[in-house]
Order: sequence, then C-alpha cells, then structure tokens
Amino acid sequence: MVRFENVHMSYGEHAVLKGIDLHIEPGQLAVLIGPSGCGKTTTLQLINRLITPTEGKIFVNGRDISTVDPVELRRGIGYVIQEIGLFPHMTVKQNIEIVPKLLGWDEQKRSARSKELLKLVGMEERYLDVYPAKLSGGQQQRIGLLRALAVEPPIVLMDEPFGALDPITRESLQDEIMTLNKKLHKTVIFVTHDMDEALKIADVIILMKDGNIVQAATPKELLSHPANEFVESFIGKQRQAVGKLDTVREVMSARVVCAPDDTSVVEAVDLMRRQRVPSVFVLNKEGGFDGQISIKDIQSFSCTGDEMISRLANKQIPTVHPEGSASEAFKIMMQENIDELPVVDGDRVVGIVTRRSMVTSLAKVVWQGEAHE
Amino acid sequence: MNWPSVFSAVLTHLQITFFGVLLGCVIGLPMAVLLIQKPKLSHSVFAVIDLVQTVPTLAMLIFVMLLLGLNNRTVVVSIALFSLFPIIRNAYVGLNSVDRGTLRAAKGIGMTQLQVFTKVRIPIAAPMILAGIRLAVVSALSIATTGVFIGAGGLGMLVWRGIQTRNTAMMLSGAVPISMLALMLEYFIERIEKKLTYYK
Repeated sequence: MVRFENVHMSYGEHAVLKGIDLHIEPGQLAVLIGPSGCGKTTTLQLINRLITPTEGKIFVNGRDISTVDPVELRRGIGYVIQEIGLFPHMTVKQNIEIVPKLLGWDEQKRSARSKELLKLVGMEERYLDVYPAKLSGGQQQRIGLLRALAVEPPIVLMDEPFGALDPITRESLQDEIMTLNKKLHKTVIFVTHDMDEALKIADVIILMKDGNIVQAATPKELLSHPANEFVESFIGKQRQAVGKLDTVREVMSARVVCAPDDTSVVEAVDLMRRQRVPSVFVLNKEGGFDGQISIKDIQSFSCTGDEMISRLANKQIPTVHPEGSASEAFKIMMQENIDELPVVDGDRVVGIVTRRSMVTSLAKVVWQGEAHE
Repeated sequence: MNWPSVFSAVLTHLQITFFGVLLGCVIGLPMAVLLIQKPKLSHSVFAVIDLVQTVPTLAMLIFVMLLLGLNNRTVVVSIALFSLFPIIRNAYVGLNSVDRGTLRAAKGIGMTQLQVFTKVRIPIAAPMILAGIRLAVVSALSIATTGVFIGAGGLGMLVWRGIQTRNTAMMLSGAVPISMLALMLEYFIERIEKKLTYYK
C-alpha cells in the first residue's frame, strides 16, 4: 500500500531521514514511534507530499507519488493532525463535506455521507449545524477524523491525533480507530511518541531513531525480540526488567478509585472525571471487591443515570494476587486485551496494574539500575 | 440654506472617498496576499507604506497634484495611498493569524493554494480585513475634506467657503454632514464585521 525505497530527507546539512525502506500492507494499522527528532512526522508528511524527499522513491498504491499531482494525491489520503485544524467558520456538516465538495459530489450524496459518518462515531445528527467552537476537544477530533474519512480514502495518516486529549477521551478514540481500521479495512499510518498507545493499537510498530528505522515489528515481536539495546531501552527493557520485578506488588499502582455498589451511574462517571481514571472498582457492603465498571461499559449500556453501578459492573474481570507473578499479570492483560487488572488480596482491593503502572515500574528499575553501574 | 448644493457635495464627497478606498483595496488586498506568500518582501514593502503614511495630507495632495493636476482624481489617488497602510497591515495580519493547524489541515486534505485562500484564509481573516477598510474609510472622509485646497469638490468646499465668507451656516452645512458620514459609515461597517464572526 505504502512503500518507501531508500528515502533520504535533509534540510541543508541536516539529514532528517537517512535511507528509509518501509513497506506497509493494505489494512494495516502501522504506528511510527521514536524519540522527538527521529523523523517520524517527516516520514508521515512525505506520504501525502506535504514535503518532498531529497532522494529516493515513495509508492502509494503502486504509483510513484512524485509523478502524481499533489492535490489529487492528498484528496485520496485522509489526514488527521494533533491540532485538529477544523475550519472554524464552517459547520460540522461543511467540515465533513469539504473534500467531497472539492471533488464535486452533489448535495444529496454529500449530505447522506455526512449523516452516515456522524453515526459511525456515535454523534447525533443535531451536531451537523454546530460550529466547531461549540464542541469539546474529543468531539472536535472525531469530526477531524470524519473529515479525513469522507471520501473513503484507502489510507489515513494520523499525526499524534490524540496527543492533546484527556486520557479518557484518548482511550475511547483509540478504540474507535482500532474498530474503524478493522471494520472499514483502512490502512492507517499513525505517529505517536506514547509507547502505551502504540502497544495498544498497532498491528506493526515502526521504531525510529535519528532518521533510521531501528525495528519494524508487531508489538509482540518488539517486546519479545527487541532488535538492539535502543529498542530495549525505549520499551523500558521489559524483558530483563520483568526478571527483577517478580511480584505484582512491584508493578501495581496503589492508587485505586473505588465506589460502593449503591453508587449511581452518574456519580460514578463524575468520580471518574474528577479522578481522571477510565474505570472504578465496585465494593460490596462489607468493602470487598465486587467487580469493575468502566466508562466504556457505561457508554455501551443504555441506562438511566440513577441506576446503581452494581447492576452494570463487570464481575467476571480477571484479578491477580499482590504476591502473584508480574509476568503472569502482564500476560493476562495482553491475552485478554484489557488495560487494567485489579489486584485483590482476599476480598480487599489493594491496587491496580495498568499498562502505565507497569511501564512506570519498569522504567524505575531500568534507570535506577543504570545509575548504580 | 442651499440644500441641493449640500446634497450634491455629500455625493461628491462619498464618491471621492469610495473610489479612493476602492483603489486602495484593489492595490492593497492583492499586495497583502502576495506578501503572505513572499514573507521576505514584507519588510521592505511595510517600510515603504509606513513612510507614505508619515507624509502630511497637504504635502501628499501637492505631490500627487504635480502629476495629475487640480481635480478630484488627485484626491482619489491620495486617499488610495493613505489607505494602503491600514488595508495592507490589517489584511496581512489577518491572513497570517489563521491557525497553523487549520492551514496544514487545509493543505493536507487536498486544497489547492487558491482554495486555501478563498475557502479558509480569506473568510477567517474577513473581519480583520474589513476593520482595515473601516479605518481607511474614516480617514478618507477627512482627507477628502482637505481636497478643496487643490480644487476638488465635496463637503470641504462648503466648510472652506463658509470660513472665508464668515458664513457659519454654510460652514456647518459642510462640517456636520462630514461628521455624520464618519459616524454612520463606522457604525455600519462595524456591524458587518460582527456578522462575519458568526461562528464564534
């Protein structure tokens, strides 16, 4: 779908890309990641010819893009950026329909399309005539995404699209992107600097450093067979580190947000907002662990706000013991594809293992270790 | 009071103002667009229009008069020259203050350079551009008044003759309409500016 052949990019003396070879398959969700200045955004902008390589060839859909009119090329590639960049003087409808309009679709077809798209991200039709200034950040980025999808481009480029959003919105948009990628079979090329995000959404992670690709692999491969020390350190030296961090207690976060089971859904959502967490643990009358409820659950159930959370709580969620094995906990999270694992001792909740808490603990071990050497 | 002559003076005054500012727009707005695309040019161009701005009105009229003679055209051209400053400045700043992300998105989704201007930059900068035109119009009304010194028509004529013949009524029949025109045009254009920010 997208292929780079020995692509170099330099601004004067300064080489930003030093011979990139890359192949992204149709339908893949590829994540470009690396420390700042590694060339990931440059790589992305080369694909829709916002910049032109100094040397080398780039093929999109088998066509050498240097032979394609840049405007025509860009209309066939979705583009989503961190700044969102909605047109403030246009309504949601006009924003979504801009590319179809540029391509000369008639009003009927355009309007059907914008309604269909809005449904795709679960927004109501009444938003069509609203100006972007009236939307929340998350809603704005959803519209940014729809604008990119309007003419069903086979490829969507995303440049740190969720970087400026709060954690809860980011989580749910990540889920939406993964769904869209699978449902609509779009090739998505996604730039981020957040390893948690990459591990969560990527089919293939392309790790870059100083203008070179260090490793391109599935998240699993990257974790199990890092190509070199840089990759290991970038993902937090997970493998060796897990050896040192034996127990769950060492990788968990003790900051848990709990709510008694007679809390109403509205209160629970409010609690999550205030605590900036995507879920809370439900406690029974005796204060024992009785399941978990996440913002996703609440969104997917249609319920009135004053219902009690005990009804919606997920009681089947796997748990681990604080003295259990940390690598086991990690395995459970990867296998079950869950982001949070309650740590329960007897019936008491003592902590929570999240991707973040795990990486944080790993990082501590890694860098402390280096300091002692 | 000679109402028909006041009325015709108002018309002439408005004509001179209108064509002066129009000429200023015709030169100034494309110039602002050009400067956006060639930012290196902007320093030298702004130096020149800043300089033009510092020339006293009467001196400007005399310079232009030497080229174009004693008539309304001289006043129109002088107004155009003085209009360049507010028109180009405001348009330049307005067009340049459009959010970078919005511009990158516009280009990235496949707008041509022309479309980026017509669909994004100009509509967003419109209130700012119009504010520049408003400033130009208000100062043009007063420049048009001094046009009487080089033989142009307009309300300045009534003021000047009134002063010379110590005819207060005639003087005021020029001065009052000038002030009213200034207030009305200012108010009217400002209202359009507000309408152009409907989306905020």
